[in-house]
Amino acid sequence: MTGSLRIKGNEDAALAVVLLVAAVAFCILVPLAWPLDPLRGDISATFKPPMTVVGDSLHPLGTDQLGRDLLARLGLGTLVSFGIVLIAALISVVLGTALGMIAGYYGGWVDALIMRLVDIQLAVPFILLILLLVSVLGPSMTNLVIVLGLTGWAIFARVARGRTLEVRELEYIDASRAMGLSDMTIIFRHVLPNIIGPQTVLLTLDLPRLIILEASVGFLGLGVQPPMPTLGNLIGEGRSVILIANWLVLYPGLMIGALVIGCNLLGDWLVRRAESKVS
Amino acid sequence: MKGLRFLLSRAAQGLIVMFGVSALVFFALFLTGDPAVLMMAPDSTAAEIDAFREAMGFDDPIIVQYGRFLVDALQGDLGSSLRYSRPAMDLLTERLGATALLALSALLWSSLLGFLLGAIAAVRKNSPIDFAIRVISLLGQAVPVFWLALMLIILFSLNLRWLPSSGYGSLSHLVMPSVALGAYYLSAITRLVRSSLIETLGENYVRTARAKGLTEWRIVVRHALRNAMIPVVTLQGMYLASLMGGALVTEIIFAWPGIGRLAVEAIQNRDFPVVQAVVLFAALVFVVANFLVDVAYTWLNPRIRL
Repeated sequence: MTGSLRIKGNEDAALAVVLLVAAVAFCILVPLAWPLDPLRGDISATFKPPMTVVGDSLHPLGTDQLGRDLLARLGLGTLVSFGIVLIAALISVVLGTALGMIAGYYGGWVDALIMRLVDIQLAVPFILLILLLVSVLGPSMTNLVIVLGLTGWAIFARVARGRTLEVRELEYIDASRAMGLSDMTIIFRHVLPNIIGPQTVLLTLDLPRLIILEASVGFLGLGVQPPMPTLGNLIGEGRSVILIANWLVLYPGLMIGALVIGCNLLGDWLVRRAESKVS
Repeated sequence: MKGLRFLLSRAAQGLIVMFGVSALVFFALFLTGDPAVLMMAPDSTAAEIDAFREAMGFDDPIIVQYGRFLVDALQGDLGSSLRYSRPAMDLLTERLGATALLALSALLWSSLLGFLLGAIAAVRKNSPIDFAIRVISLLGQAVPVFWLALMLIILFSLNLRWLPSSGYGSLSHLVMPSVALGAYYLSAITRLVRSSLIETLGENYVRTARAKGLTEWRIVVRHALRNAMIPVVTLQGMYLASLMGGALVTEIIFAWPGIGRLAVEAIQNRDFPVVQAVVLFAALVFVVANFLVDVAYTWLNPRIRL
């Protein structure tokens, strides 16, 4: 790899870290330290554009139809959305990795069964499946986390299986088997450490999909219910008043963009680093 | 021969997937226990719910019900809409044209432009123009389709007054939905073509073509692009599900009378037969499209035809 390319790659990683650290700091510090209430508004201060001062409180990002401060709502909304996405991603990666390793390690009908489940999962557009399940179970934060988590496992299973197939042929796995270790011990103590790296990279690249999915469900009004803000339902609520208050739509979208670009750049950089290590 | 066997086994896998999806959409309604309660309005009386349960056949053993669902579905009967009292299949086919128009137009412009941008970026690798294309493709994947759509509406409908903010019927109605839906896809294709082409341009036969004195564009168009297309075509099929998901949200924003809007309205109205029909249909499109991808793949890659 040439020198100029490597420098370019590191610039990407630096930008990714700046974006992600800024976003995380924002969604932790604003709910903690910003004095205005994200859920209660001042009816005399509705639809104030950004940087308006009302009484003695400044609204840097303006206010919404109920006079609530958008900065406070965006801080809490980012925290709620990103929290949902992270927990869902953890459920997906744990479930997918376990099933993928089992499929790859045992092969045969277990493999065939799990891989057909992967195909089925991937054949239905995620948003449609999630809307169906949420509408059956009812919209709530817990249901959303569970449904997002349970529907995202397939891609992790597919990659974990491929990696397990390679690792399974290595000599030390034969040696572990000869020593009489149980299958589960071999899978979790000796195969897993070899696939954690690639799975983490995949997780980083899958986060943007989940961020946008969670936002879409929220936008359609089937995610976390108001008055609790999320990135998606902020945009969904702002949509109906877009003529008079476009900032209500603008800033939540920019936050989604920052999170997604950060995760994408970081993921791409991790992939390149892993590839250059191999070559 | 080998190619035929490959395609046959892919077709069989497609059938298994459709069977699985049918089980998924059928049993999803039983997740809360009683589908009759789920489907009826919350203020229905117990007698109304009982009558409805009997009319829908929810009293029968669940396996019998699933068998009936499958047999009906195979004959094109996906049940009746609870809201419109019409076959779900009719509602679906009425909306099909609008969604196909939206999805195909988005697919067309984004694929053409994506191939062009990807090829330029690959040939001018590490130049300012490559960097600019990279920034565009990064931004295209960064924002949700509904947000991009709203930004387009603010700019082109509210401020400039160039395009209608919603509706259906003329070319000017199609522009913004198609742009919003295709943007993500454009980024994906551009990135894929670029990386795939860069890899192909390093191959020996490309070096030979260069040694023969062919111009770089001639090499790309005549020699490299065909091989670079294999991963692109393979991934097109995978992206299709996300394209259909994106179409759903796009249709809501632009009041586009397609299947996506039908699905969201059905979910909001608890009209589950229609929801089931849409999910099954989306999966069918996905399976058929992926099969076509496999056919294209067999054609592009003679190694698996032998």
